[in-house]
Amino acid sequence: MNADELDALYTALCRAMTSVGEAQAPILLARFALLAIVEIADADRLRQLIAAAAEDLPDASGRGHT
Amino acid sequence: MPYPFVPERFSAGLPPLRDGVDRVRHRVAIVGAGPVGYCVAIGLAVHGISSVLIEADDSVCAGSRAICISRRSLEILDRLGALPGFLATGLPWTGGRSFYRDREVLRFAMPNDANQRLPPMLNLAQYHIEQILLDRVRELADRIDLRWQTRLTALEPRADGVRARLATPLGDYALEADWVVAADGGRSTVRESLGLALAGTSYEGRYVIVDVAMPSDRPTERLAFFDPPCNPGSTVLVHKQPQDVWRIDYQLRRDEDAEAAVRPENVLPRVESLLAMIGETADWAPIWISLYRANALTLERYRHGRVLFAGDAAHLVPIFGVRGANSGIDDADNLAWKLAAVLHGHASERLLDTYSEERVAAAKENLGYGAKSTEFMAPPSFAFEWMRTAVLGLAVRHESVRSLINPPQTSPIAYTDSSLSRAAESSPEFETGPAPGSVLVEAPLGTPAPAARGTEAPAAYLTQVLGDHFTLLHFAPDGVLPADLAGIEAGMRACGIRWRTVVLGAGTDEAAAALRALYGAKHGASYLVRPDGHVLARWRRCAADDVRRALAGVLDRVALRIGDG
Repeated sequence: MNADELDALYTALCRAMTSVGEAQAPILLARFALLAIVEIADADRLRQLIAAAAEDLPDASGRGHT
Repeated sequence: MPYPFVPERFSAGLPPLRDGVDRVRHRVAIVGAGPVGYCVAIGLAVHGISSVLIEADDSVCAGSRAICISRRSLEILDRLGALPGFLATGLPWTGGRSFYRDREVLRFAMPNDANQRLPPMLNLAQYHIEQILLDRVRELADRIDLRWQTRLTALEPRADGVRARLATPLGDYALEADWVVAADGGRSTVRESLGLALAGTSYEGRYVIVDVAMPSDRPTERLAFFDPPCNPGSTVLVHKQPQDVWRIDYQLRRDEDAEAAVRPENVLPRVESLLAMIGETADWAPIWISLYRANALTLERYRHGRVLFAGDAAHLVPIFGVRGANSGIDDADNLAWKLAAVLHGHASERLLDTYSEERVAAAKENLGYGAKSTEFMAPPSFAFEWMRTAVLGLAVRHESVRSLINPPQTSPIAYTDSSLSRAAESSPEFETGPAPGSVLVEAPLGTPAPAARGTEAPAAYLTQVLGDHFTLLHFAPDGVLPADLAGIEAGMRACGIRWRTVVLGAGTDEAAAALRALYGAKHGASYLVRPDGHVLARWRRCAADDVRRALAGVLDRVALRIGDG
């Protein structure tokens, strides 16, 4: 995937989350993650990705200030 | 503390009047002596057209406004004869760094290969930009009638021109002109007079803009700090300007009161903690504080009868991505040669519709990039904010997401769908090189090289052969121009059209070979280039008749005596 495609998908996900609202957005992300898991279908790789997502998770001050 | 720049003040004047009306009917009146108005006036003068330039103020601007001039703008300014002042004053830069909290997460470089003559970006204050252009305007005083302290109060459009009502401290008068260029900025009086409004998106996120005086040897680069320890939850941008002036932009929190936020007692501690964080210990002083809110707005059309809109009067682009002044300079460059062609009687008014068509398309592209940058720099919803936090946090270890942090910097816009390019019947079989509608790709010329614009000396780089004319670049490996192409220049001159035919690619050195490869012209090819440096058409093999047909779609009022025509 090139940078433009990545950027377009990033924006599409942001818009999808915005449209369902803040309360529902985590559910949307969970569903998206599940669909991505079955699509990627590489168990070892997926365990690495789950670990990477949890790594260095910023504390809550990283959001909500702007 | 004042800026290290003292603007010269200019007095108002009144032209000779008859019944309260300027005795001279002007061909072009330009409203607004900012960067765009100056570039239109200089561009018209270069193309042989006189104008009157009206400015409400008594000096060049003050304060912190446009500060980054792109390579494309520098190429335009070069053709306008203003480049030396920019290069002498501005600070060139090629990239920057972004930080998340205390970690560097991105180092970016703008395109800057060995083929380039000019830096990708140059920083200088808008008062410098205006002063350098004003100096050029004064050299062209016989063609540009600049009137200070002259404020437009109303504009009456008419079938064959306009009547402008002007107010000065010496009294009011009216002025008639065949054409008006509205370069009077974001709060355009011309736009208001015609009952037009900009449409698009206004963003909630607010930034405080601060200029400070501070001596520092820090290099010129763009620094961005997301959620920095000195200002948690905020985004801070830092740019170096000439004369030890530093521009600092920081985002306000949603709950902050705008009026309080720009009070020095609230601004200075934030600047102090930023400077401490980046290790600047010298004494500093604030010069300027203002509030900014991003807009992504445009008019639907830039031509309304005899009124042509350019720059901020036509469109407001977010500051992130530096496309404001740069897109206005591009507007001026597109407009000047077309308006001159109409006034010289070479083209019908339809050519000015292509100004609107091409520059509205460019504005939409610029607004798209500007919106993207703004969505990252001032997230418009919780979702953009969450995702930005995800990108920044992951970027420390995962290079694959770093491109999402990189602000899409301004790049030359191609008029790919322009009716002028489509009508010009290029040959399709090019594997490389700038397509019709694109700007020329810069490259060193090697030897032998044609003369640079306005000199006898050989040009070092391709863009130096462009000027106030159409240019036919003919790649001839043997250095010989075919007889029928050789006749074009004289044929054009006979029609009063400024023209230059340039033979390229004849050298045996590396540069000549690289140039041929860059333009897909190993075995000869021709590029027809507009006065604004955009390719109008290109051919693998071209006859004079191809050139005549391509040009006839642009200059539709001249019987071109070349080729079979």
